[in-house]
Amino acid sequence: MNDTSKFGIIIKAEGNIAKLYLSGYLDAHTASELENALNQIIIDNKYYILVNFKNLDYISSAGLGVFMAFIEEIRDKNGDIKLCEMTSKVFQVFDLLGFPILFDILDTEDEAIQKFKNGDLKKNE
Amino acid sequence: MNNIDYINACCDLVELYKIRNFIELKALDYGLNSDAATKVALAVDEACTNLIEHAFKFDKNKTICIATEKIDKKMVVSIIDQSQPFNPLSVQKQNMEEYFREFKKGGLGIQLMRSVMDDIEYYPASSQNNQNVLKLIKNIE
Repeated sequence: MNDTSKFGIIIKAEGNIAKLYLSGYLDAHTASELENALNQIIIDNKYYILVNFKNLDYISSAGLGVFMAFIEEIRDKNGDIKLCEMTSKVFQVFDLLGFPILFDILDTEDEAIQKFKNGDLKKNE
Repeated sequence: MNNIDYINACCDLVELYKIRNFIELKALDYGLNSDAATKVALAVDEACTNLIEHAFKFDKNKTICIATEKIDKKMVVSIIDQSQPFNPLSVQKQNMEEYFREFKKGGLGIQLMRSVMDDIEYYPASSQNNQNVLKLIKNIE
């Protein structure tokens, strides 16, 4: 993470699940990094995507917009994006806009992984 | 007479971090709690992002001014620019269920700004004054 972007992504794989660990500040300046990472995961034909927010300090609508931009395509491919371990401040931003209607937001990474393993995926209407 | 503090930022998204820090510090200084301070910083971030992206089209030679003051029991943030006037309050509120059903894109910043601030006022530039002013107001409880 360099000083000008103050945002970082670490990507790990667990079986067929791509796990993204976000840190720092996700805003209009840094959102393209998340977009690029998700694009790469889709190019690799991975559609089970878990995003861990434990170390993310801040998110603005630009960050939420990235998840909106990908979710339809990912669910069309029978995948899902599951979000977990948000701090209360980050969760509040998702909640203010009603995102828990569209996305599974879990307390722990284990719960998110279990949902993927059980095939518990949200579907496009 | 109120003390007005301000910063100028160039129209580059990298400035958002600096702008948020300034707003959060002033908000805490005025007596807002940490949660409310973060919300004001978020609203200012959204307003400045819209200006940088849409009004100024990332022209780093242009600047916006962000001024804060405490008036009675309110924090007032004024975002001042000299672009074409655009009133964010003219944008209709999104129906989020419809938004999700149709996988819409964009428009969330103004929605967030509305949901975290107590009041928003917009004063477009006129023949007497060439500056647009967006005022974001948060009650200090």
